[in-house]
Amino acid sequence: MSESRRRWWHRLTTRSPLLVTLDALILGFVVGALVIITTTASVLDAWRAMFSSWAAFAHACQLTADVVGAAYRAMFTGAVVNPRIFWHAVTTGQGWTLALTPLSETLTYAAPLIIASIGVGIAFQTGIFNIGANGQAILGGVAGAYMGSLVHLPTVVHLPLTLAAGIAGGVIVGLVPGLLKAYTGAHEVIVTLMLNYVVAALLIFTLLSTVLQQPGQQNDISRTLAPSAQLAPLFGAASGLRVNWGLAVAALVVVFAWWFLERSSLGFDFRVTGANPQAARASGINARAVIVLVFVISGGLAGLAGIVQLAGTTHYLDGGFLIGNAGIGFTAITVSLLGRNRPVGIVWSSLLFAGLGVGGRAMQAATGIPLDLATVIQSAVVLFVATPVLVQEIFRLRHAAAAGEVRLATSGWGS
Amino acid sequence: MSTVSRRRTRGIGVFMALLGLVTALGFGLASGSAARSSLTFNPVDLSASAPLHLGTLTLPTAIANLVLGLAMAALGVELLVRVPRRGVMARFGAVALLFFLALLLWAVRTTGPAPINFVNVTAVLVGASALTMVLIFGSLSGVLCERAGVVNIAIEGQFIGGAFIGSMVASTTHDFFFAAVAGGAVGGLLGLVLAFLSLRYLSDQIIVGVVLVTLLSGLSSYLNLQVLTPFPQYNTGNLAPNLPIPLLTKIPVLGPVLFDQSGFFYLMIVLVAAVSYGLFQTRWGLRVRAVGEHPQAAATVGIKVIGVRYANVILGGVVAGLGGVAFMATQGQFQPGYTSGLGYIALAALIFGRWRPSGAVVASIVFGLSLYLSYNLQTFQVPVSTEVLGMVPYLITIAVVSGLIGRVRPPAADGVPYQRD
Repeated sequence: MSESRRRWWHRLTTRSPLLVTLDALILGFVVGALVIITTTASVLDAWRAMFSSWAAFAHACQLTADVVGAAYRAMFTGAVVNPRIFWHAVTTGQGWTLALTPLSETLTYAAPLIIASIGVGIAFQTGIFNIGANGQAILGGVAGAYMGSLVHLPTVVHLPLTLAAGIAGGVIVGLVPGLLKAYTGAHEVIVTLMLNYVVAALLIFTLLSTVLQQPGQQNDISRTLAPSAQLAPLFGAASGLRVNWGLAVAALVVVFAWWFLERSSLGFDFRVTGANPQAARASGINARAVIVLVFVISGGLAGLAGIVQLAGTTHYLDGGFLIGNAGIGFTAITVSLLGRNRPVGIVWSSLLFAGLGVGGRAMQAATGIPLDLATVIQSAVVLFVATPVLVQEIFRLRHAAAAGEVRLATSGWGS
Repeated sequence: MSTVSRRRTRGIGVFMALLGLVTALGFGLASGSAARSSLTFNPVDLSASAPLHLGTLTLPTAIANLVLGLAMAALGVELLVRVPRRGVMARFGAVALLFFLALLLWAVRTTGPAPINFVNVTAVLVGASALTMVLIFGSLSGVLCERAGVVNIAIEGQFIGGAFIGSMVASTTHDFFFAAVAGGAVGGLLGLVLAFLSLRYLSDQIIVGVVLVTLLSGLSSYLNLQVLTPFPQYNTGNLAPNLPIPLLTKIPVLGPVLFDQSGFFYLMIVLVAAVSYGLFQTRWGLRVRAVGEHPQAAATVGIKVIGVRYANVILGGVVAGLGGVAFMATQGQFQPGYTSGLGYIALAALIFGRWRPSGAVVASIVFGLSLYLSYNLQTFQVPVSTEVLGMVPYLITIAVVSGLIGRVRPPAADGVPYQRD
């Protein structure tokens, strides 16, 4: 009995990738709490009065716990489940839609995020930093919008064609940094960053000045996708839940990525190139071909994420498509790092970050604390995950005999 | 001279020659013999320190642009033939300026008797100088960090932090000195975080940099909603006053552009001079470059590699933070996302300038002008949509980073973690 307990304790205090990730999560939420505390006037006022009496001190503590607790509670109930509503649904059989909406929203948001993050993760595993996933996803959405709204076909043909158009859009944007890196040595970080701005401008241009614009509209808004090109709600339109077949697409992508990285010979070449470019070259792997193919796959997946977002959730494009807080291509970078660039890890981290995003919106509605707190928490978590030794020191973890290091992707500007 | 840089010089030569031909044909011959373009040189606001008055210069568009284009092509051919060792960037900068001039002449051409449209050369240069200044702050920050072997991709984040704090402090104290101190401190703090995570814990520098930018953009828009919106007195957005230098401001064109600027502009010039001198003429600079090129060798002669890197990354952060305050001091009120990727363009300017302060300055001038023109060409009624024009600076950056400079050689140990044995 005590033997097994000791083993558990040992496991909880010895550094392992999973433990570092969990501890980084705890630290991320601590950072978020500190940000809330230091920026909420009522909490600060309570602490200013703490020296006047024990009661004031107790009040300050309690108010802090209340404010932070309310924020995180709103986040949880907005992203996962509200126990009260859920219990009401269980006991009465009524209101299931309301009870399941938070989970449905999180999954809706997670589906394209999983796809885009796997694209970024495959690039990372090859030693390539694709910061351009957002631009690739936007052009995927634009290309898919042309196919989905201007062509009319039966669903069996139309939906696959629309998804394929999205992939093609992402591939086109991805090829630019891929070819430039392979043939001129241009660093992909700068090129993909700049392309994000180019594509964002291109999106507005297509919405305002091309046939894609909704007829009779002056604003930057596109035609709506034909029903035959939309990803239908998973539980039918009558369910009132937005979660759609995009989730199934994401599942297929996860399976594909696992097979590709673990079982296919091209995936092996990718991973060897990422782990040791010199060894890859020495063993006859064509470095240029690998660079171009990585961007084809990574860009294609980002494009697929864009069209899944469009066909499953928004059904039309506007100027805010994947801009700002909705920029899943940017979130995908942090998601992929948190998931250690592996498909299964990415699924978990996508669910978490999707939950943070959805819950952040609920938190803003319930408590007035801006949803950008979710971005702060996400960035903090990833900073800690990228620095496992710091987490190890903060939590005083023991060194494992062979702790799985995060293999980081990039090394300076060199080629 | 290495073959790589000879090839690069030739590449730039070809590009310049082609650009010259396109200019001569497209903006010159194609505009017809009747077209005229007018240039004016007097600043828009005629303050007490106004320069000597200059009249309007009206030129036949076709001939002017033909001459400009041929001059550009000649400079390109000269690079191709002579392949000089020095002054490549200066020639490129000159060609870029000629190109922008030709573009503007073409944009305002009129065939009527009286010129309706004109280019105010001084106003364009003054407008572009604000963006150029911010880019120079950013690329100098990059020079300081990357010459010591640490990639600072968080310049954008340091801009955001500097601009945010700068706006708060300037609004409360009404003194840009304190704003600069606070902004520099925030930038330096972010530099410290980058240095701490990448030097002590050997994290990937590019990833830490990108995540720091995400963190700062999230934090700034959070704080904007949580603090600045309910307390607008912290974000009044006053602009830094100009400090005209007596007499020198009287020089036409150059006076308003160089000598009638805010303190940040003069500070930027001092920093450029200090960094170029320090990096290439002093013991400190030799040590920094040694650390960036070959840290192991530097360590064997007793240089504290980690210490040098810490100092430079923090210093670089301070400079970028100042850049953020300078941006805010010329653009006004802090808004989330209003640095719109300037930090990344500064990074591109640094790479294009081959990690040298002087090169970075020329690249920043080119990028600053092209950004300014893309924001403002609409006022010249150019028949191109704003969105397409808005892509131009970013496309130029891509062209420049890939086609033009090809395989540049960064400091050898740039971005490579250093570990003592």
